[in-house]
Amino acid sequence: MDQSEEQLSRFEEELSGAMRRVDPPEGFAERVMARARANDKPRARIVRFPHRTRVWVSGAIAAALLAGVFVAEQMRLRQERERTELARQQFEAAMRITGETLEQARQQLQQAGVRVGTDGN
Amino acid sequence: MGIAEDELRGLIAMHQRMVFSIALRITGDYATAEEVAQDVFLELCRSGDRLASEDHVRHWLRRVATHRAIDALRRKAVRPEDAAEEWIEEEHSDGEARGCDAGLQARMEELLRTLPEPMRVAIVLRYQEEMLPDEIARLLGRSVASVKSHLHQGLTLLRRKAAFTMKEYVRGPV
Repeated sequence: MDQSEEQLSRFEEELSGAMRRVDPPEGFAERVMARARANDKPRARIVRFPHRTRVWVSGAIAAALLAGVFVAEQMRLRQERERTELARQQFEAAMRITGETLEQARQQLQQAGVRVGTDGN
Repeated sequence: MGIAEDELRGLIAMHQRMVFSIALRITGDYATAEEVAQDVFLELCRSGDRLASEDHVRHWLRRVATHRAIDALRRKAVRPEDAAEEWIEEEHSDGEARGCDAGLQARMEELLRTLPEPMRVAIVLRYQEEMLPDEIARLLGRSVASVKSHLHQGLTLLRRKAAFTMKEYVRGPV
């Protein structure tokens, strides 16, 4: 063992002596116990139903879900029908206005002596 | 509670010095060390019923205390030097004194706090807990070579610092 290794070894021994365990602050254990008791609140109670009740409850929940899906689908179809009807009415109104405008234009041209498209010329 | 109150009280009495000392020497901060040590025992309280033997409990506490202390050190970026004076002025029991001068010990603690985290952790586990390098490696999830390297570097650095700051250690070239 050379000199530096010997010194390091001696230093290790002195370090071991200096690194003894120390006590925690006064009242440490009590503070931990108090926190443990505070954390130990009653947990949420799990309610267990009898098997037959569970079957009925599960069936009721499934039926409610199906009814919900059905109602939602019906509402969606109804909204779609309403949108289609509205679009149809708007289209008809537009066609009617266009027809009336064309008729007015034709009458004005007729009054001006211009013959338009009724006899194929 | 996962374990009975009396049992927890007994485990705290038995292991509080180990857990607190690991936390203190790694974090370098007295208040943080107490917080870490409390958290470790609360975690033990929650999972204690899974710990079979006394050895298992001690190993578990050592591992969890080390990792929680490292986490606290990283999270809070504790600067150990800030707490050194507080540490020196605090009164600590000396029940297991092995003839080491208290002033010398305090200065050694101060120097320990100036080491980088991996070296400090390795030194604490080796010289406080008297663990072997392969045990330290398993606890930290590192390679034995890396632990040995940290131990050697930490020792050399500590000794070099001691040579500059403590006349007790001026014993020839470092």
